Formats: sequence, structure tokens, C-alpha cells
Amino acid sequence: MSTDRRAFLLRTAGTLGAGALIGAGTAEAARADDAPPPAALPSTGAAGLDARFPFDGPHQSGILTPQTDAVTHLALDAIAADRGALIQGLRSLSARARELSQGTTAAPDLSDVDAPPADSGTLGVVVAPDALTVTIAFGASLFDARYGLRDRRPAELIAMPAFPDDDLDPARSHGDVLVTVAANRRDTVVHAVRELLRPVRDAFALRWTIDGFQSADRAPSPHGARRNLFGFRDGTANPDAKDEGGLVWVAGRAPEPAWTAGGTYTVLRVIRMHVEFWDRVGLREQENMIGRRRDTGAPMGGDHERQDPRYDLDPKGDRVPLDAHIRMANPRTAATRPQRIVRRATNYSRGFDEAGQLDTGLLFVAHNASIERQFAKIQARLAGEPMTDYVTPVGGGYFFAPRGAAGPSDWVGSGLLA
Amino acid sequence: MLAAVVGIAVVALVAGAASPSGHPADHPVARSAHSVAPAGDAARGSSGVYLESAGGAAVRRASAAHPERAIPETAPLPVAAFDRPIAAYRRYAGRDAVAMAAPAARLTAALRRGDRGAARTAWTAAYRRYLLLGAAYGALGALDDAIDGTPGGLRGGVHDPAFSGLHRVEHDLWTGRRPASIVPAAQRLQRLVARLPARVRTVEITPLDYATRAHEILEDAQRDFLSDRAAPWSSAGVVATAASVDATGVVLGTLRPILQGRGDALEPVETRMGQLRGVLAGIRRGHHGTTPRLDALGSTERARLTGALGAALEALAAVPGTLETVLPPDVPKIPESR
Repeated sequence: MSTDRRAFLLRTAGTLGAGALIGAGTAEAARADDAPPPAALPSTGAAGLDARFPFDGPHQSGILTPQTDAVTHLALDAIAADRGALIQGLRSLSARARELSQGTTAAPDLSDVDAPPADSGTLGVVVAPDALTVTIAFGASLFDARYGLRDRRPAELIAMPAFPDDDLDPARSHGDVLVTVAANRRDTVVHAVRELLRPVRDAFALRWTIDGFQSADRAPSPHGARRNLFGFRDGTANPDAKDEGGLVWVAGRAPEPAWTAGGTYTVLRVIRMHVEFWDRVGLREQENMIGRRRDTGAPMGGDHERQDPRYDLDPKGDRVPLDAHIRMANPRTAATRPQRIVRRATNYSRGFDEAGQLDTGLLFVAHNASIERQFAKIQARLAGEPMTDYVTPVGGGYFFAPRGAAGPSDWVGSGLLA
Repeated sequence: MLAAVVGIAVVALVAGAASPSGHPADHPVARSAHSVAPAGDAARGSSGVYLESAGGAAVRRASAAHPERAIPETAPLPVAAFDRPIAAYRRYAGRDAVAMAAPAARLTAALRRGDRGAARTAWTAAYRRYLLLGAAYGALGALDDAIDGTPGGLRGGVHDPAFSGLHRVEHDLWTGRRPASIVPAAQRLQRLVARLPARVRTVEITPLDYATRAHEILEDAQRDFLSDRAAPWSSAGVVATAASVDATGVVLGTLRPILQGRGDALEPVETRMGQLRGVLAGIRRGHHGTTPRLDALGSTERARLTGALGAALEALAAVPGTLETVLPPDVPKIPESR
């Protein structure tokens, strides 16, 4: 019964996405003539409800696709009884993610009102794509004896180590699988999380979750990197998504297993920001710790955000201090160029701690082709930076996001398990 | 308590210390090494305007690069104004470092006897002594890590061989280990504590460090002690916070002569610090004259303590800026791109 209903939902997906701006032609779902006509969807560009990213493709969406405003990271423990059950769980995850991300309907089956509806209905009867992306990644712990994956582990995938000044909470760290659900609107994410978990209850158990949000694109200088909760623009120097030059995608050559080709290492770090403390620090010191003006986002001594700070002409740090965050993280030399990472951070805010201080901060996400060559090098350079006093990394993990699914019959992770 | 008394004594020592010295070359001390400023001003080709400050020090009035950034209302202090406060604090810290040896020795002795209760009391006294160092522990480097390090940043957590010092002993003492088995860790702590007085005597404390510690000692308390993060097994957050309040009182006592009459930071600081001490005294009264474990505080007690500490911190945040020894440097413009 439920299978039939799923088939019905899948059929409707193709027509719903007809006007989508992004990812057109990738929704290969059947276009059945008997599908009901779609309700009218607002068509307001990439931020509209009809914005759509492909689920299938050489790379997973949600990595280099434009960043959306709301995200939830779900760290899951695999509880599937065996390899076959794990495969079934991952298949279901991909299938449901594909439906939801391409747009579907949630009209209840009125011929069977005694049955629980297949969809929670929290978005009404039209589930618009809303730029939903569901990105699936694997943690090192999945590659143990349980599913016979010991010899399939990506070469650099380990449990994220504690770095100096970290205070990692094991209950909010690591996981066998990381599912990152992102969309333009929070209700779309909340709905998707609920629907995604439904078919996989016996395959994956929630280990920890955290919600993030992206700051709005605000005047007076819109289209810059969004602000983090220290009030500074964060992500300005990100490599261009169209020209990432081997920084993101793994080639799949030895020592990496071939199945990793087209995937990327994902670093997630939950970084608590001690914002009350930060708010008691003088602007001069704040800006010197970051290396940028807080108002414009320009590097110190500059007028606009994207300006090259020209460290080559500032060897003593007269403009940007030598221990400023942006300078330590990315010294912009020929040697450090291949170390760059693609950041996809959001902010989080989740209540307060025992001392009455806001529990808020940054969900640092980095995608890189090599943790050792990229993220870990940067992290080592940042050890002891002045900003350390104001932040505490409390959770997260290392994960590997494999290539995307090839089409509706494929699923994320097939290269590893099939 | 003792710290407060010492603080008062120190005030007397430093009264009248604020005598500005003459030459700008003596002044360039900024919040951290990177912002050391004036020496290279001329070389930077800046068009800043120089004027005479009250003390005769040459300071620049306006920034060519950021004209919207006005000069502070008070001229920077000469570095020498900090000489006596820091010297007085150093004497205090030296005595406190020596005094930590006694509870550390009592700790080992109690563990040898198998007296867990006495060992816990001695541990708490040693911890309090260490926190009374306040302004120094941020500058003690590896010795601080060894004495006061927590397992959070260690790969092996509490099982990491590098996990040592006060919190190693704390962990073992409050998680049911046999007292005799903790003796080696306590002896190691004693050896570390023995190195403390010499280290405190020689530690470099710049005016900037010192002015900053006036609020950062309690910032650490808010972040690490009232959350019970720093001492989770003993739940010594209230003891630790009270020690930090006392240490801050010592620092403020030494700085009072140079804070007085400079801007308006001092009055709210003294008011809020007094209220904070009052809340701590009220908590002790409510617990039969003893300082309770953090997890024994009632929710109202806890909220009041957090609130009073937060309000004190908001007032203390004005202290470092009031005691700046340099004006904001004129940040040179980035040359036009090629």
C-alpha cells in the first residue's frame, strides 16, 4: 500500500518542477499524464519556493550549489542489522530525498482515511522544492566490521581528533552517517527531516542534530559573504565554486579507493561563540583579531570586502596583524593556495548553558579534497590565535560525501556498497 | 577574603603612581604584539596630527585613513604608570604562589592516609590558591597547562597521559578512585607547584596584559566556572568564582590610582563588584557559612550569581579601553592593486 502511494507521489514530481530555474532536466521522474495539475507556485527566482537543485548528478547538491538559509545536520548511527539492510536504508534515504528536493505532493489518499497519511502535511498538499538539498556523507565509524567496509574506507577518513582548545562533547560528535538537509525556509527543512527519517527507522538512529541559519543578505553592501554571530562577514575568500581547481572533489586515485571519485571530505565543527564576552571587547581588538573591518568587511586598510589585503606589502602586519584570523587561515601565498577549502558555514542558536550564557555560534562546514593537505593544515596554523579565547569547538566530525546518484534508480552510497 | 585585604594594602602602595613619563618611545605598548604602533608612524607616511597630551607625550589626534574614528576622550597613559601596580601585583602573586605549596602538601598527606574528605578539602584550598593568582595564570604558559589544564583538548580525554595537575587529581578524587592510587598525581602536582613562585616572579606582564586581566579573570569565571566546565567533578564553580572575584579585586586595587579621574569606568566597576561580593556573601550565609558546590545552588541563587557577575563584567569591560597606552594606530591603506 505505502509503496503504491510512493509511486503516486513520485509521478507527480516531474510536473511540479516544470518551471524550476535550477537543475532543469535532472528530475527524471516519470511524467505521467494522469498526474494532477500542480498548484500554482510562486516564481520568484532562486529564493522562491520553486527553486530546485538536482538531486542526481556527478556530485551531490548542497556542497557547491548556492547556499540556502536554513539547515539541519543530522548525525546518525547505523543500526541496520546487516549490509543488505544498510543498503535498503540508504536507498530509501536517496529516494525520499529525491522526491522532496524535486517537489512533490502530499495530498492524502481520501479513499483510505483510516490509514495514517503518507506525509505529515506540515507543508500542505504541495511540497514545493524550495531549493531543498539533502547531502549524505559517511563517518569513519561506518567502516568497521559491521558491514564489511573495513577495506573501503576513504584514505583520510578518521574520527575528527580534538584540536588544542577544543572541548568536544562525545554526545555531539561523530556519527556513522551525516545527513545535511538545507532549504530556503525552515519549515521545508523541518518537514524534510521528518519525512526522511520515516522510511529508515530500523536502519539509522539519531545520534545528534543541530540547526543552522544563514544571515540575510543585507544592505548597505549586499551580495557579500554573510555575517556570523561575531558580526563579521565570514566566507569572503571562499574559492569560486565554478573554478575550485581540485580543491573539493576527490579524484579517486590511489591511495583513495576508486569509489571516492567525485566525492569530498566534509568537516563539520560546532563552534560555540562566547558572544557575551565578545560583546565586551573593543572594536579595535575585534577587528585586529579577525583582520577585517566589521562594518564593510574589507581587510584592514581596505575599502571593500573583496579587496586583496596584499600581505606581500604588509610583512610586519601594520594593516592586517600577523596573527589575525584571516591572515593565519589564508596567508594567500603560492604555497598555501592548494590548502584552501570551500566553507559553507551557518550560525546556530540553541538556548543557553548552565551559567545563563547563550549557546550560540558557528556551524563551520568545510569541503575539501584532502583533509591532511587542506583543513588540517589550516587548523594547525590557527592554533593559539587570539580569537581562541572567544570560541570553543564543542562537537562535529569528519565525514566523506560520496558522488551523487546517477539517476532515479541509483542512490548515494551505491559506489561504496553496491 | 585574604585577597581583598591584600588588595587594600596594595592600593596604599601604588597611590600616586600615575606620573606620565616624557618620551613617546617609552609608550608603544598595545593590546597585543601585533598592534604595537607609534614607532613606525613616520615611516608609514601617515598624515596624522601630533599634539601634546597632558603628560607631555606626543600622540596623534586623527587618523587619515579613518577620519570617522575620533580620538578617545582621554589621552593614552604612559607605560610607566603601570610600573607600581604591576610590581605590587607581582609581590602579591609571589606570596600566593608560595602559599599554594601548603594545601598541595596537605593533599598528598591526606591521600596517603586514605582520608578522602581531608584530601578534597585540601584540593579545594589548592585550587582556590591557584585561581587567586588571577592576573598571572594567563601568562604562565606550559606550567599553567600542566597545573590547571583540562582534558577537553586532549586526544585521549581524561585517559590521556598528558592530563595532569589539579584536574587530574580532581577527577580521581571525585570519581571513586582509591586515595592511595592518586598519590603519584598529587606528588606531580606538588612538584609543579614548587616551580610556581620562580615562574611568577619572572613572568612578563605588560600594561596591556594587566589592564585586560582586570576583566578577563572574571570572563573566564563566567565561561568556565559558572558553567561547571572547568571543575566538573568537584563542582567547585562557586569557590572558583569567588577566588576570581578576589583576584580581580587585587588587580583593581592596584589600578585604582590610575583609574581614578580617568573617564567614568571606576564608579560602576566598584558598585557592581560590591554587589557581586554581596551576592557571594549571601550564598555563604544561606549555606551555613560555607561556600557550596555549584550544583548545590538553588536556581534563584544561581541566577542571581550569574546576573551579578554579568553586570560586573559589563562594567569591567570599560577598564582596558580606559587604560590604553596607545591611540588606535593609523591603519595604512592597501595600495591600489596592480
